[in-house]
Amino acid sequence: MAKGMKAQTSPTTQAPPGPKEGREWLWSLLLGLLILGLVATVPFVGNASDLHTWTLIVMFAVLAQSWNFIGGFAGYSAFGNVVFFGIGAYATGLVLLANQPFWLGLIAGALVAGFFALLLGLSVLRLRGHYFAVATLGIAEAMREFVTVRDVGGGGGGLISLPLPSLDSYIRFFYAFLGLSLLCLLITVFLTRSRFGYALVAIRESEQAAEALGIPTYWYKVGAFVLSAMPVAVAGGLYGYWATGFDPDTVFNVGISVEMVLLTFLGGAGTILGPLLGAIAFEYISFQFQASGFTFHNTLLGLSIVIVTVFLPQGILRIIQEFGRQPAAGERRAGRFAEGVRRVRRFIAANGI
Amino acid sequence: MSFGQILVNWLLLGSLYGAVALGFSLVWGIMNIVNLAHGALIIVGAYTAFWLYTQLHIDPYLGIPLTMVVLFIIGWIIQYVAINRVIRAPLLVTFLLTFGLNLLIADLVQQFFTSDLRSINTAYAGNGIDIGSTHIAFDRLIAAAIAIVLIAALDYFLTRTRIGNAILATGMDRDAARLMGISIRHTYALTFAIGAALAGAAGAMLSELYPFDPSEGGTFTLRAFVIVVLGGLGTPWGAVAGGLVFGLAETVVPLIPGVGPGYDEAIAFAVFVIVLIFRPNGLLGKPTFS
Repeated sequence: MAKGMKAQTSPTTQAPPGPKEGREWLWSLLLGLLILGLVATVPFVGNASDLHTWTLIVMFAVLAQSWNFIGGFAGYSAFGNVVFFGIGAYATGLVLLANQPFWLGLIAGALVAGFFALLLGLSVLRLRGHYFAVATLGIAEAMREFVTVRDVGGGGGGLISLPLPSLDSYIRFFYAFLGLSLLCLLITVFLTRSRFGYALVAIRESEQAAEALGIPTYWYKVGAFVLSAMPVAVAGGLYGYWATGFDPDTVFNVGISVEMVLLTFLGGAGTILGPLLGAIAFEYISFQFQASGFTFHNTLLGLSIVIVTVFLPQGILRIIQEFGRQPAAGERRAGRFAEGVRRVRRFIAANGI
Repeated sequence: MSFGQILVNWLLLGSLYGAVALGFSLVWGIMNIVNLAHGALIIVGAYTAFWLYTQLHIDPYLGIPLTMVVLFIIGWIIQYVAINRVIRAPLLVTFLLTFGLNLLIADLVQQFFTSDLRSINTAYAGNGIDIGSTHIAFDRLIAAAIAIVLIAALDYFLTRTRIGNAILATGMDRDAARLMGISIRHTYALTFAIGAALAGAAGAMLSELYPFDPSEGGTFTLRAFVIVVLGGLGTPWGAVAGGLVFGLAETVVPLIPGVGPGYDEAIAFAVFVIVLIFRPNGLLGKPTFS
């Protein structure tokens, strides 16, 4: 794409201002850092309820960013990633109940979830399409049931109750989530710039072609799956202690899996900023609705999913790029707008019958 | 439990599961869409039957045609308004869309009927025939019979009628079917509507046999998926075959010493993985509906 554009412009014409194709990742990274920096001021400017809301918003951003590794880059429709959230929460919870330090619990959660993702990935990543999607959905449900029936938490039906963390530590939880989100942002940038990331995109675009090029697709997929599991497990551990207890229905809730997918799609799957933007936009609105006494959370979620999949299947970022792209020579602003609308409509038409 | 009782329980449960998976199998086979809203549609069917029973005093089994009409209309609208617009998008999009519809429908049902556990107790519930030590409950027997009738009717409709042939043709090759003058848009809407109507019938049957609440849709979707994978997508009878195999697993596994009840989802998942390893196209497997 970049080469094609350069070939068209003669050496004498000035290159168009603004970010060049090759530097896009840098601008995305800087913008991402700016967004996280702004979010970091919440404890100073907001009250306790804002802190609570934004802690959860950043947590969902982490979940969406992690899902992006397997779903956005490798294009595998993992619908059960909440299983890692639950595993992280339970591993951390059990370590805490054994009177071990919290950080040890987080590490244990990440390692257990990573190992579980490795074992799971080795088997289910041989499946494709619908089979893979439902296999991951099934493992999350099966795990929830197992934890409930075996009463892993010891509180009846798998419930775990944890000691109350001290009051000022809520700010620390917030920054822990934010740090995790930053880490995910850096990993995403690394993916867009590295051999590993290119391989994943190749798998998404055509697995057979990638295979034919000699890419060990199976191992790259397993790698992406493990990578998308570990931050989710840490987030699960943080959430468990932050919420001072949980039950299997909360931390193995398939709705969380689906929210990961929705947030990533809303922002733009396979992009650097997409999941972060999608999470902040959707969860902020969702919490505003909840604060105003709106009890139809699933209605809102379901409606958003329908609207996003039907009208914005490529995400907000793509739409912004479509309207914000450089005008061609002789093109007027109104003309560009009309052209953008036409392109979006054409995209919708191309997916229907 | 006697062997005869286990056999009867298994056959009746298996046929019922066939009915649960039938609409799901049709939609998947024809449109290549895994309809995650299938369970929610079953729940809508159950609540429609519940409403008919409590408000109009219509027996759930006798009300099945009415329930099917209601679900047919809902299904037609869903396909025509939403799913037709993303039918050629990547798999993940349709998967996500149907899950969104699932959440939406389940939440709306909960708003109308609250999340209380409901059940329908007809006058003949508990009656049955006793052959030796084997008890055959009437309500389960009727449900199994209706399931078989529905499957036979679907088979007849698809293979012997003009519209049914159009649906099959669209499933085999969409572009060729369009060139033969079939309206894809309407055929898909009709297919999904029939799938929804069958889900409604299954829901009406389940409402008489088990207590239900709005949150149970996901369980049925997962089971329908496993059953279809077991039976293969080839024919409506695959749903019965899959239902029987799945029913066998669910009847027998809790009897194994040391396992006990409570592992329904885990059993479903384990069966699913085992079948995919050995028969990737299902037991009666053909890659598409034909």
